[in-house]
Amino acid sequence: MRWFLHRLATSIVLAWAVATIVFLTLHVVPGDPAEILMSTGGVSPDPAAVAELRQRLGLERPLAEQYWDFLRKLARGDLGTSLVDDYPVVSEIALRLPRTLELIAAATVLAVIIGLPAGTYAALNRGGLFDRIASAMAALLLALPVFVVGTLLVLLLAQTLRLMPAGGFVPFTQNPSQHLTLLALPAIAIAKGLVAVVFRMSRASVLDTLSRDFVRTARAKGLSPSRVLIRHVVRNSLTPVLTVLGLHMGTLLGGTVLVEYVFNWPGLSTPLLRAVEARDYPMVVGIVLIISILFLLINLIMDLLYAALDPRVRAT
Amino acid sequence: MMISRRAVVATGLTLPFLAVPGRAQSKPGHLRFGLSAWPPNLQPWVTTGVSAGTVKTLIHRSLLSFNNKGELAGELAESWSLDAQGAWVFKLRPNTVFHNGEPVTADDVKWTIEQIADAKSTAFMRSQFQSIVRIEIPDPSTVRLVTREPQATLPTWFCNYNVHVVWRHSEANNPIGAGPFRLVAQERGTSLDIEAFDRYYKPGLPKLRSIKFIVYADENLRAAALQAGDVDMIEYVPWQAMSAVEADPRLKLDTQYGPFMDILFNGTRGPFSDARVRRAVAHAVKREDIVKVAFFGRGKPLEGVPIVEGTPWYDAELAKGWAYDTARSKELMAAAGVPNGFEAVMLATAQFGMHKDTAEIVQKYLADIGIQCELKLPEWSTRVTLGVRGQYDIAVHGIAADNNDPDGLTIVLDTTLPPSHGRSFGVQASRTAELLARGRSEFDQTKRVAIYKDMQRAAIEEVPMVGLAWRAQGYGMDKRVQGFTNLPGALSTSSGGMLEETSFG
Repeated sequence: MRWFLHRLATSIVLAWAVATIVFLTLHVVPGDPAEILMSTGGVSPDPAAVAELRQRLGLERPLAEQYWDFLRKLARGDLGTSLVDDYPVVSEIALRLPRTLELIAAATVLAVIIGLPAGTYAALNRGGLFDRIASAMAALLLALPVFVVGTLLVLLLAQTLRLMPAGGFVPFTQNPSQHLTLLALPAIAIAKGLVAVVFRMSRASVLDTLSRDFVRTARAKGLSPSRVLIRHVVRNSLTPVLTVLGLHMGTLLGGTVLVEYVFNWPGLSTPLLRAVEARDYPMVVGIVLIISILFLLINLIMDLLYAALDPRVRAT
Repeated sequence: MMISRRAVVATGLTLPFLAVPGRAQSKPGHLRFGLSAWPPNLQPWVTTGVSAGTVKTLIHRSLLSFNNKGELAGELAESWSLDAQGAWVFKLRPNTVFHNGEPVTADDVKWTIEQIADAKSTAFMRSQFQSIVRIEIPDPSTVRLVTREPQATLPTWFCNYNVHVVWRHSEANNPIGAGPFRLVAQERGTSLDIEAFDRYYKPGLPKLRSIKFIVYADENLRAAALQAGDVDMIEYVPWQAMSAVEADPRLKLDTQYGPFMDILFNGTRGPFSDARVRRAVAHAVKREDIVKVAFFGRGKPLEGVPIVEGTPWYDAELAKGWAYDTARSKELMAAAGVPNGFEAVMLATAQFGMHKDTAEIVQKYLADIGIQCELKLPEWSTRVTLGVRGQYDIAVHGIAADNNDPDGLTIVLDTTLPPSHGRSFGVQASRTAELLARGRSEFDQTKRVAIYKDMQRAAIEEVPMVGLAWRAQGYGMDKRVQGFTNLPGALSTSSGGMLEETSFG
């Protein structure tokens, strides 16, 4: 419990530090939200109108006052409203975050379904044809940039074969099959890297576990090969796979930008990117803060999962 | 054996993602339109870009608009004229109603103008409307506008997609308009749905029953969506995709030379404060290279003030006033006392490929006459701020005029206006500004033409900016889309209103 509370307190301090750094950095770099908003499309706005908007948005106030105001609101759980359209930041995150999580979850499921069995099989048949082909494929998948894969998928499946939509989003409640169809390509694009990572980690980890004494003991006890594989080898090989998956999932929270952009998937990355461009301070700080908190949460969950998988972690 | 079982399982689990062709199908009367950006907001008087302007023009209406030939046409006003005292008089069309069923009255027009011109207004046309000193309502269907000075172009103000008449009792965040369509749904950041307004004042319009605007910020994906049949029409067809759209037997392309690329100067310091050096720059760049590289051939060299060809103000000779002539450039540099050139900072943005590519070509040609430019290519937001503050020596920019009247170029040419990222900083071009003002206050068309030709001559001498290239503004669409017109010249960005005359299927 003490460990948990300590982790929680550290997480809160880290989240505050992240929010503060982002807040201050954004205010230091050049760019005036009012001027940028009114220059959309390259037009030259009336400077008097820009000044009026700046006043209305409270951007004329001293930075310390704006920061204090931000902290007071944050303490109440209020992340403020967008400078662009006055939309509450919390509502924007509540709308967008589930879509990004869905994308990451779909990609992760794909990665685990393909990468884990493939990695295990490759380890069991080390040096075999499958192992060599799969390892080469994994290297290729890791080397290919995500936007190249995304663009190729669109070119092949949407533009040429016209089998899939080029991109976009439809709520699941509105049209489930169209929703899943639109989810498929971005999920595959994200999963391609994860599959390779899971494959490599699974293969290395299973190879390592196979050489352990307890596996030899299990075999010597006369357990069936499948029981040895599932109960002893795979289970004990999962910890490093989980670590890598956890780290990647955290990174993906803010790293799906390219995929969301290429496939027009309206997750959290798109408004973050747009908010940075528009210097929409409350939106950027709010989204980054939430991503940081989720990243910390994922790490916490991973620690708890280790404990579930490995009794030695529980003991410490 | 084990491999194939797992492979089968894995394949089976991915099938639901791959095998369901759950794509939306096209329906006659219902248009799916690919927007290039999510409208930051739909406030009727604030500028938030062309995409927002397209949607706003369909859910709101103003007194006037441009018809499919680019001429002024009545909307909520059925006629307009100048009275003997020099005031503009607008007669409202009878039987026009807002989306809530309330009639459109002169009071609504008066209230709208007052909001735009208000001291605390953030409206795009605020400074223009602030020159209206009195709004009179002689009768419930007539509005008379008295301006501080004669304003020949006042009617065009009401054609801007940031000027719409709104019901005067509207709530601030829910402006009620009188456009051909009503906003019925929106999926934030993704799509907007509008449906035909059944009490629209033009018989038989709109021809479409609904339009679904779907946002594709990535230009290549937007083009791919059109080619894949996900949408029926898109705006801002990327230049590199225009050939593919033209080659597709199901699609067609409609382009206009509207927006243009130009060079801006900081006239407050260094050699660019000398008009001769600016003119040397104007003669130094071979525009064909910009058209070829930055716009994949989908543009046209611009060697003078950006006056649209085919308009009365266009003059073939003046249009070549800054023709490519390196020898002339070197003469001007020598005359200005910098025969060996100098170093300068060139500002553009790397966020838009056309800006970056154009800047690189300009950089190369300026090096030929001895001006060594260090390229500064920040993202767009920083570019805007540096431009407003004048933190550059020379800049490359892209913009469109407000309309095809030379007065629409005031935002680019009149350097007496306060600093803006789209205008040269502190450049002295007083004769150009003075002639623009004279043209604005002259009502006789023949005299206006003469004034604006003089203005072009003055600008060629004073060089408040340098035109580089017209760029094609394209709409791509399914061949079943009929009746849409991409408006000529600078009006291209206002073509969204034409969707009321568009049919599909």
